[in-house]
Amino acid sequence: MTSQANVIPVQSGLPEFEDRANQETKYTTCYMCACRCGIKVTVEDNKVRFIQGNPNHPINKGVLCAKGNSGIMKQYSPAKLSKPLLRKPGTERGAGEFEEISWDQALDMLEKRLRHIRATDPKKLAYFTGRDQMQALTGMWASQFGTINWAAHGGFCSVNMAAGGLYTMGHAFWEFGDPDWDNTKYFMMWGVAEDHSSNPIKLGLKKLKERGAKFVAVNPVRTGYQAIADEWVAIRPGTDAVLALSMVHVLLKNQLVDEEFLIRYTNSPQLVVNTPGQKGDGLFYRGESGEPQVWDLVKEQFVDANLPDINPALFGEFTMPDGTPVRTAMNIMLEKYLDDEYAPENAAKECGVKAEDIERMALEMAHVAFKESITIDVEWTDWAGRKQDKFIGRPVSMHAMRGISAHSNGFQTCRAIHLLQVLLGTIDCPGGHLAKPPFPKHVPPGIKPAKDMAPNTPLKSPPLGFPTCPEDLVINEDGSPKRIDKAYSWDAPISCHGLMHMVISNAVKGDPYEIDTLMLFMANMAWNSSMNTAQTIDMLCEKKDDGEYKIPFIVCSDAFNSEMVAFSDLVLPDTTYLERYDTISMLDRPISEPHAACDSVRIPVIQPDRDVMSWQEVMVEMAGRLGFPAFSTPEGERKYEGYKDFIVNFEKEPGIGFLAGYRGKDGDKSLRGEPNPRQWEAYAENEGFFEMHLDLNQRYMRHANLDYLTLAKEAAWVGSTNQIVIELYSEKLQTFRLAGQGLYDGPMPTEEHHKERLVKYFDPLPFYYMPLEEQRIDRDEYPFHAVNQRPMFMYHSWDSQNAWLRQIMSQNYLFMNRVAGEKMGIEDLSWVWVESHNGKIRVQVKLMEGTNEQTVWTWNAIAKRGGAWGLSDDANEATDGFLMNHLISELLPQKGDKVDRVTNSDPVTGQAAWYDLRVKITPAAPGETGAWPTFSALKPQPNAKPSPDMLSYTSHENVNLKRPMSDILTRGEK
Amino acid sequence: MKLGLVVDLDTCVGCHGCATACKQWNTSGTIGPLSDENPYGKDPNGAWLNRIRTYEVDDHPNSKTVNMPMSCMHCDNAACVTVCPTGASYKREEDGIVLVDQDKCMGCNLCSWACPYGARELDPHQGTMKKCTLCVDRIYDERLPEDERKPACVMTCPTKSRVFGDFDDPDSEVSKLVRDRAGKQLMPELGYEPVNTYLPPRNKPVVETYEPKSIKATVKGWVNKVIAR
Amino acid sequence: MHPAFSVLVFTVMSGAGYGLITLMILGHLLGVPQLQDSNVLLSGGILGFVLISGGLLSSTLHLANPKNAWRSFSRFKTSWLSREAVFAVLFYPFVLAYLANVWFNGAEVNGAAVVAGYGAAALAMVTLFCTSMIYASLKTIRQWNTSLTPVNYIALGLMSGSLLLAAVQATVAGDLSSVLHNLAIGLVILGAAVKLIYLFWIGKPAGSTINTATGFTQASVRLLDQGHTANGFLNNEFGYTVEANRLMRLRVLMVGIAFVLPFLLLLTSSAGLLALAAILTIIGLLVERWLFFAEARHVVRLFHGDQRV
Ligand SMILES: Nc1nc2c(c(=O)[nH]1)N[C@H]1C(S)=C(S)[C@@H](COP(=O)(O)OP(=O)(O)OC[C@H]3O[C@@H](n4cnc5c(=O)[nH]c(N)nc54)[C@H](O)[C@@H]3O)O[C@H]1N2
Ligand SMILES: Nc1nc2c(c(=O)[nH]1)N[C@H]1C(S)=C(S)[C@@H](COP(=O)(O)OP(=O)(O)OC[C@H]3O[C@@H](n4cnc5c(=O)[nH]c(N)nc54)[C@H](O)[C@@H]3O)O[C@H]1N2
Ligand code: SF4
Ligand code: SF4
Ligand code: SF4
Ligand code: SF4
Ligand code: SF4
Ligand SMILES: [Mo]
Repeated sequence: MTSQANVIPVQSGLPEFEDRANQETKYTTCYMCACRCGIKVTVEDNKVRFIQGNPNHPINKGVLCAKGNSGIMKQYSPAKLSKPLLRKPGTERGAGEFEEISWDQALDMLEKRLRHIRATDPKKLAYFTGRDQMQALTGMWASQFGTINWAAHGGFCSVNMAAGGLYTMGHAFWEFGDPDWDNTKYFMMWGVAEDHSSNPIKLGLKKLKERGAKFVAVNPVRTGYQAIADEWVAIRPGTDAVLALSMVHVLLKNQLVDEEFLIRYTNSPQLVVNTPGQKGDGLFYRGESGEPQVWDLVKEQFVDANLPDINPALFGEFTMPDGTPVRTAMNIMLEKYLDDEYAPENAAKECGVKAEDIERMALEMAHVAFKESITIDVEWTDWAGRKQDKFIGRPVSMHAMRGISAHSNGFQTCRAIHLLQVLLGTIDCPGGHLAKPPFPKHVPPGIKPAKDMAPNTPLKSPPLGFPTCPEDLVINEDGSPKRIDKAYSWDAPISCHGLMHMVISNAVKGDPYEIDTLMLFMANMAWNSSMNTAQTIDMLCEKKDDGEYKIPFIVCSDAFNSEMVAFSDLVLPDTTYLERYDTISMLDRPISEPHAACDSVRIPVIQPDRDVMSWQEVMVEMAGRLGFPAFSTPEGERKYEGYKDFIVNFEKEPGIGFLAGYRGKDGDKSLRGEPNPRQWEAYAENEGFFEMHLDLNQRYMRHANLDYLTLAKEAAWVGSTNQIVIELYSEKLQTFRLAGQGLYDGPMPTEEHHKERLVKYFDPLPFYYMPLEEQRIDRDEYPFHAVNQRPMFMYHSWDSQNAWLRQIMSQNYLFMNRVAGEKMGIEDLSWVWVESHNGKIRVQVKLMEGTNEQTVWTWNAIAKRGGAWGLSDDANEATDGFLMNHLISELLPQKGDKVDRVTNSDPVTGQAAWYDLRVKITPAAPGETGAWPTFSALKPQPNAKPSPDMLSYTSHENVNLKRPMSDILTRGEK
Repeated sequence: MKLGLVVDLDTCVGCHGCATACKQWNTSGTIGPLSDENPYGKDPNGAWLNRIRTYEVDDHPNSKTVNMPMSCMHCDNAACVTVCPTGASYKREEDGIVLVDQDKCMGCNLCSWACPYGARELDPHQGTMKKCTLCVDRIYDERLPEDERKPACVMTCPTKSRVFGDFDDPDSEVSKLVRDRAGKQLMPELGYEPVNTYLPPRNKPVVETYEPKSIKATVKGWVNKVIAR
Repeated sequence: MHPAFSVLVFTVMSGAGYGLITLMILGHLLGVPQLQDSNVLLSGGILGFVLISGGLLSSTLHLANPKNAWRSFSRFKTSWLSREAVFAVLFYPFVLAYLANVWFNGAEVNGAAVVAGYGAAALAMVTLFCTSMIYASLKTIRQWNTSLTPVNYIALGLMSGSLLLAAVQATVAGDLSSVLHNLAIGLVILGAAVKLIYLFWIGKPAGSTINTATGFTQASVRLLDQGHTANGFLNNEFGYTVEANRLMRLRVLMVGIAFVLPFLLLLTSSAGLLALAAILTIIGLLVERWLFFAEARHVVRLFHGDQRV
């Protein structure tokens, strides 16, 4: 790394500012958010002196964000939990009355409860995890336990981005891919405020700006990244598919698509049966052994689409030998997107972007893709073993996140954006959108969700997977859901990440059944991660007639006194990120960069001063106690001493473990290799991470790159070296649509609304539909869209305990376009009521220019409950901050039909539709100020020290730089 | 030497990374601790040496959002120094860094009144004046690796919007940036001659649009090309 | 600017004290008949001494770290505050020598009285000037950065001093001196004139705007976020805002109490009413000083969203 400044000559006469002999520097991984930057921590006397970015780290290359720089105050937080807590017998849940118990007591109690559930009815344990980074471990734990009721936060977070990508091209936005920051010349960012890749995006944007590449931001709000965009497209929320597909329309109309790319790498030449109303309609015409067919222009016959060296027709209608009409998928696309619906003039009306701008942007991208293409002269081998002499790059790239995914049409919108990328030929090519190992995978990854459970028996497959047809749904014979969150049911058939936002609501209703224990890890479900927060709080305390809670037992693992703690029966205090061993595993979503396979670890840098235990250890301990097969020897003994031992020695398949680096007896093997007893030490010596650069010939076109696919198979990232064919046309979706039409040989829904949803939303090609909430409310009554943004300096709820970060923001406002506000007579800083179909809140307004006129928005998760997080009862977060969550229902707007009970989620993936929210705004009466609703303050933890009124943190006595008295007395004016 | 910072308004996304990096380095640094009042209560408020503000420039629909980080400008003509009665405030002759000797400050606030840029904040606990030291305790510290001998805020900035260097040296990166990008001083009319310089947002890049040859408004317009798979 | 009560008390009290002592000594030494009375001189001297010392003590109350107050003598070379401190201290031996001389030798003018007296008077005026220059030298506050500031400080110090002097003289001696009476009337008129000129002058728009502050000089600029939600040091120190109407009312009140009422009272010749006039003036000047701060708009406000200062 070259230093930015000329090094300043060292000066004599300065004091030795700190006693470095007393300091140690250690490397670990930040966890102030899920970006997972490498940090170098200077510690003295078990206190943190300084946390800086590790310049060698693949993710952050030495930089840190505001949160990462405030780790000291996270470690210092007065809200840290210090001992296991048990709700005092006889007190109410939510009252926050706890007694401290020992870890032995806590673990015994948990073991007893879990042992009973596992031996009787494993699904009675619902285990859900929030913003965690260890789904590989928790998911495996749940499988071994034998409950299908496990999921992480993906369902309320961004499963739409994951599914949209994985069902299209085998990688995705979110944490699965990145723009090629070094080469892209035109970058379009859709609905991103911060995302997980927070430092890499910032580093990348700087590169673009330095190079003079164009940065277009599609977002109803202009702050943060959008502030530095060259063009801000102030779209109306929920309509991005219209914009994307209108640009597709422009490209198609002008015949500006990469036909070579489409033919070689996508399924667009494949032939689709065209027999509307009949079985088999919309499925591919397949050969005898099931291989999809194309029409070979040279041979003039149908051939296996997956063969090399054929000349498929991209367009055309044909007839199968049995007379069935077929046409290329591309033909269907032309028909669909050349339609007037997507003409810029019409699109403009829907999405609010001017027709000429839509047209211009599409043609700009076409220009960059086709007239400014780049080549990298590296020889590589394609999937069929043919040598290629260069990579061709079409330097247009995109990134999208929750502005797209948090809508109930997000899956199809995400696919629409991918379609645009694919038509321009910008997938995994130089300058385009690159995958990050272990992605890409075959479309979709070959894991099916587990369906069946038996006492004391591990699941046969993981609880979460990727259905490809109705047979894969996790439903009973009668079509009712098997999972507590109703994932993989007709409500949300390809909900690959579960529906965490439905668990409490469903469990309390006993719909589809009652559970015994809800175990939450790192999820603040009593506050910011629930829709309908106030009602969720009530639900958590709801009792049956016999006085028992509807959710009988709630266990929560948290490191801090969050709102969730008060609603738990057993609280297991976790370590902080600076205090524990952890892995960011290749089996999960590792820290890989496009051109390097990487994973990393956390290694304690601070010794805990409390009686805490990391959740990793708890997991391994429970697995051992309960005798999970994977955690036991054949003799039934515990196999692993603890988490570190487990990580080193566990093998998923021979040579494949949680950590991909420094494997093999001597630590010289990468990706696959026998366990290395010194693996942790090797990571520590290598600054906490492992990075394996891909060879030059493995870096692009990986969906069709044999050199890469061979490596990927060896590393167990993919199951075969077959080409990963990009699925613009999704036959998998069509199977569900056929089920909805009653034309499927297999499970089919019986309820009318399910049929309608399947027919409407499971379009095999991306399309636009109005978000579901908007469909079910009066749009004139609720004229505004209401969305959130993540502040760059706060991570969900957990940074209000941070004395530095909360100074930046301890109150949020409702931001509104100035013109829109003034039209309604709303003044800056006045208080207003915001009302949705689900409830109302009182909030303070700020007017601004950079917001779409039909949109209001606020910063996410700033409001807190007094008493939680070590905050005083009158903390600004509790009195003036507000959560938008109160307005958002976990169910669709009520209309008195069957759909009333259906989740407020994407009908395809079950993604929580946070940003579908529509509201009306009315000025509050004079004198009506302060946030509403507010909640009573939570009790402090037992034996908690009160939070201080003044803080002067320093890790050592500060050494002042003294000005000599002689200088003071003699120096005059400059 | 005339040391200072260049701040690039074209790329700053307002992430506050530099602000908290500054806080954490300096609270245990030579000017520290930097105290915080009501850290967990109502209206938390502490001493910071670097703050980020956001403005909207121009009116709808031409408006633009601009993030503007501000710390001490290490002015050439630093009235904050001349007004100080105790001599606690001074400007180093060797490099122009403006500092406050914590042992000598009496907390009269006068220097903060003299500063046009809001770069000085009184520590609520210590009662002494705090300000950016340009990380004097980093940039000269031989025990730090060479690459790390720069201000904490500069090291951490994820968009590399902060550049540190010697404005007296015409070949330094800061001098070049100021020349190439027409760097600006804030409130030049007051005559403080601030050293820190702001790079205004760049002009937007112009991208050509593809001039299509023919328009295929219907499916029929498309003709198959023989392309081998 | 945030008006710190200790600073208001300091500037008003010490201003009146310096004015009183200066006028008294000059009157004594130049032979004003009614001031050749040691009782008058000692009373006035002690009152002035108390006002000055009380004011100076009060001024240390606004120091956040008063243990270093003694260091404020060290930067005489550049700092008006340091100069003020030095001159304020230098004043003491002179005024004490002068008062000791009166105590021991009565009102007779001798060499010691001349040296100590003129020295004390000069240092009083210089100190008052230095105090005023602390404010006047700040380019960051246009309302202060004017030669009207020292003129104001000195004129109002002398004005309030003259009222006190006349009142002390009348009370101690039992009959009113017309010279002192007329001097007070004259100084009240002068003070009022100076103040009105100042108030008129600060009404004019300033040079710095939010545009020059942010460097965006071609378009409108609005603050969206100041980077912290609760007020910080800068907000508290510089963000002090009073409603325009209230300011207007306070200005009228100030002119009434500090100038008009005392003037009217001065038109009578009663010693009691003179004392009342002096007290009213002091109260009025407290309001005047409060306004001096409250109406001063520091340029940092531009960064927090003010369009101009
Ligand atoms: N600092 C910080 N970083 C975080 C987090 C955090 O809390 N703090 N959370 C992490 C998590 S869990 C997640 S899921 C990611 C999410 O990262 P982001 O995807 O960046 O999440 P949001 O902040 O929800 O941003 C959504 C953006 O989309 C815009 N938007 C809303 N509706 C629409 C729309 O219909 N169309 C378009 N084009 N834009 C729209 C909003 O204005 C906003 O800018 O961030 C992660 N990173
Ligand atoms: N209105 C609205 N609501 C939203 C969103 C939105 O955009 N708008 N975004 C949604 C999204 S995308 C997400 S991902 C969710 C996030 O919601 P959650 O997953 O609930 O996220 P957090 O609030 O970050 O906190 C989870 C809990 O983890 C705890 N925790 C922190 N560190 C540790 C640790 O080291 N160990 C343990 N055991 N616990 C720890 C915290 O104290 C906190 O109680 O919020 C969702 N909620
Ligand atoms: S982006 Fe910030 S908080 Fe997240 S891991 Fe990186 S440094 Fe830590
Ligand atoms: S760290 Fe960089 S991008 Fe972030 S606010 Fe500071 S200058 Fe701006
Ligand atoms: S910015 Fe302010 S504190 Fe810094 S040198 Fe200039 S006047 Fe002094
Ligand atoms: S506050 Fe301290 S540094 Fe500032 S002028 Fe007063 S004594 Fe000097
Ligand atoms: S140079 Fe150092 S002290 Fe100054 S703003 Fe940057 S980090 Fe803070
Ligand atoms: Mo998320």
